[in-house]
Amino acid sequence: MTRRILALVPLGDPAVSDPCAAIAAAADVAARHGLRAGAMLLGTASDIDTAAAQAAREGAVEIVLATHRASDDPPLVEHLLASFAHLLAEDEDALLLLLPGGAVGEELAARLAARIYAVPLGRCNALALDGHTVTAHRATYGGRAELVVETDAPRCIAVLRRPMETPPAVAAPTVTRVELDIPLPQDVPQPMIQPAAADRPRRVDAARLVVSGGRGMGGPDGFAQLHELAALLDAATGASLPAVDAGWASVSQQVGQSGAFVAPDLYLAVAMSGTPQHLAGIALRSRIAAINSDPEADIFRVAEIGLAAPWQEVLPRLIEKIRDG
Amino acid sequence: MEIVVLLAGVVDPKWRLERLALRAGGEQPDETGLPYRLSPFDEAALETALKLRDADPAIRVTAVIPGDAARDPLLRAVMALRPHRVFRFDTAGAPLWDPHAATRLLAAAVDAAAAAGLVLMGREFGDGDDGVLPPLLATARGWTFCGQAHALALADGAIVAHRMRGPREEAIALATPALVSVTNDRSNRLRHPLMKNVVLTRREPIEIVTMPADAGPIALHARSLAVVPPPQRGAGACRMLEGPLDTQIAEMATYLRDWRDGASR
Repeated sequence: MTRRILALVPLGDPAVSDPCAAIAAAADVAARHGLRAGAMLLGTASDIDTAAAQAAREGAVEIVLATHRASDDPPLVEHLLASFAHLLAEDEDALLLLLPGGAVGEELAARLAARIYAVPLGRCNALALDGHTVTAHRATYGGRAELVVETDAPRCIAVLRRPMETPPAVAAPTVTRVELDIPLPQDVPQPMIQPAAADRPRRVDAARLVVSGGRGMGGPDGFAQLHELAALLDAATGASLPAVDAGWASVSQQVGQSGAFVAPDLYLAVAMSGTPQHLAGIALRSRIAAINSDPEADIFRVAEIGLAAPWQEVLPRLIEKIRDG
Repeated sequence: MEIVVLLAGVVDPKWRLERLALRAGGEQPDETGLPYRLSPFDEAALETALKLRDADPAIRVTAVIPGDAARDPLLRAVMALRPHRVFRFDTAGAPLWDPHAATRLLAAAVDAAAAAGLVLMGREFGDGDDGVLPPLLATARGWTFCGQAHALALADGAIVAHRMRGPREEAIALATPALVSVTNDRSNRLRHPLMKNVVLTRREPIEIVTMPADAGPIALHARSLAVVPPPQRGAGACRMLEGPLDTQIAEMATYLRDWRDGASR
């Protein structure tokens, strides 16, 4: 039996920055194996049609549009889980299910794996199909090593990033609409949304430019200057794990293997060494500029342009230059 | 309430891995001679448990480290922080690559610890996990799950988890039993042990609990493991700015302005 490749797309949660990335990833895997990609979109009546058009643009040949009237805004993971599990319950095909990256997609992938007894492959760099076998390449040891795993299980779930090249759009996909009326779990704790702080940092995972600081910033003062520079550049401020650990930036700003995955046009790395763990969170297509006092720092091996000097001497003058235009 | 903290340990992230492979004829990684430490997420989970214990003396904390004897130095480091109980759940070299098999093993480890009201784990569990195991374990056991919390607090007898979820900060009152995966944050940096406790633990025996003989079927098999160089990126060699510092800064400012204004796209 041929394995179907199906993207599962949760809509309506701003925490999922690029939900349709899973469709592009599915189309990319399918095209490399002479298969067709499907997409199952779960949303509300107001967003589903727009998303359907995008699904076709991302390369989905078969599209299922599912809505549930009782879904919350933003939808609870437990409700997404119940709906996707219901939609997949009767599906007897061998499936490779793909979800978008990020906290929601990854949680959903793992929990759905338990619900429908699929093999979770985790966050994959590449997937290949050969007969019944699915082979997954995954980063391990903080991005320092690659693990290759295989399974013949009929159902697998993976998280896969948007491919470097956008797959061709599909002109006339088949579209099926499903209105769900299954009971959604009611014993789920409702998150209380905290009021947004006025100085909350801009989202790092959707920014076109990111200005990021590492352990070498040495304290919160340096991050205040990074924020100032970021504001002048219309950029978001990111941070490495040690900088977040030290309390100089919030966890939502953490970039890396264990933080946000960012794909800006330009990533300015200030006072960071350029560990594999950190670089794993920056898209390959993003250009990197670096400022570091150590001219031998690894970050200069991957940067396009570098300035070797202490940030304390550079940032104030750089801010002044940019402000003065 | 009983809190069980599952701690994985990782190969020291600062250690430059030269070589890594699966053991011949098996699926176990050969980590001979590599130094282990708690990951930042392990530390965050442990500190969160200790803070809850500090806030409520009725709370008991059991720390569990799955693995073989190579993890014993980690156990001693955790024992020095004085949770109520620490033990190694001897996995007899079973690899944890298959998440369902790993989940069965971790569930057995929790069962060996206590009737837990709250299970804490780092948001990633060891070097082979990228965040699958905590939600998989919680769902498999029917526990409430909260992912990537950075703080837990007691409020009117309930546990409230705080987390960032994309653009919003959430506070969630948890129904127990619950499993919370914890992410690193300034507020949960692991405390230092008292020197007297470090000395005491050197003489204390390590408790070892043996895992059940049958770990169940394995559906996901490791085929290779290797150190990989960072992927190539950029247009080639880095252009290092030269000349007086003011000139370099002016050039960097022009470069950044061009990106801001779209001139470099």
